[in-house]
Amino acid sequence: MKNTLKVINELREKGLIKDYAIGGGIGTLRWVEPFFTRDLDIFIILAQESKDKKLINLSPIYDYLKSKGYNEWIGQWLIIEGIPVEFIPAFGLAKESVENAIETNFEGVKTKVMTPEYLISLLLKASRDKDKIKIKMLLEQTRIDMEKLKALLTKYNLNDAFKGFINKT
Amino acid sequence: MNEEEIKIITRGNRVITLAELFEGKEETRKEIANLQFEEKIKILVSLQRIAYSWGGKKDVIVWRL
Repeated sequence: MKNTLKVINELREKGLIKDYAIGGGIGTLRWVEPFFTRDLDIFIILAQESKDKKLINLSPIYDYLKSKGYNEWIGQWLIIEGIPVEFIPAFGLAKESVENAIETNFEGVKTKVMTPEYLISLLLKASRDKDKIKIKMLLEQTRIDMEKLKALLTKYNLNDAFKGFINKT
Repeated sequence: MNEEEIKIITRGNRVITLAELFEGKEETRKEIANLQFEEKIKILVSLQRIAYSWGGKKDVIVWRL
């Protein structure tokens, strides 16, 4: 994992991405008890905004990684230092989540992880069964800044989804 | 009788109710949630190993640490 993060940090250092943060299962795991998950979701803010907003080109990132020897794909995952990684371009709520992610250390390597309030909002947006389990864990096992969460839910029109979630649990 | 009022003799002959047992379980989960990120990733890799070998999930990639 340490070496995987080093490679991802390189993408930022080389200017291929502006910023990134760990989200998804591993982002959640940072705040709650460990649970099974398969991949490392890396939300990225691209270095340059694409002229065509409907077309996102991740090729420069993959070309660079290929030049470094990372060319093993399993489904949608690129294997980097033994870990399946998925790069997810971040817009809107996800972009804000990356911008407000906290810096943390993993065995001496700096990385960024999304905060619980942003994770809950993103998971709520996706709202698959596995996302709802993660929301429940976050609400139960970590300290949530409710004011911050409420502001996010309002900003991204997720209040009804959150109320629906709370009523069902 | 309310099921949660059932008493259990636990470690060190401590008597607790079933409700307290479950509360304790939740507290333990919260404590585990406070483990270092690195420790949690080690546990995750153990879970992946279990899923791969014991659970027969041969499509699971056991992460390299």
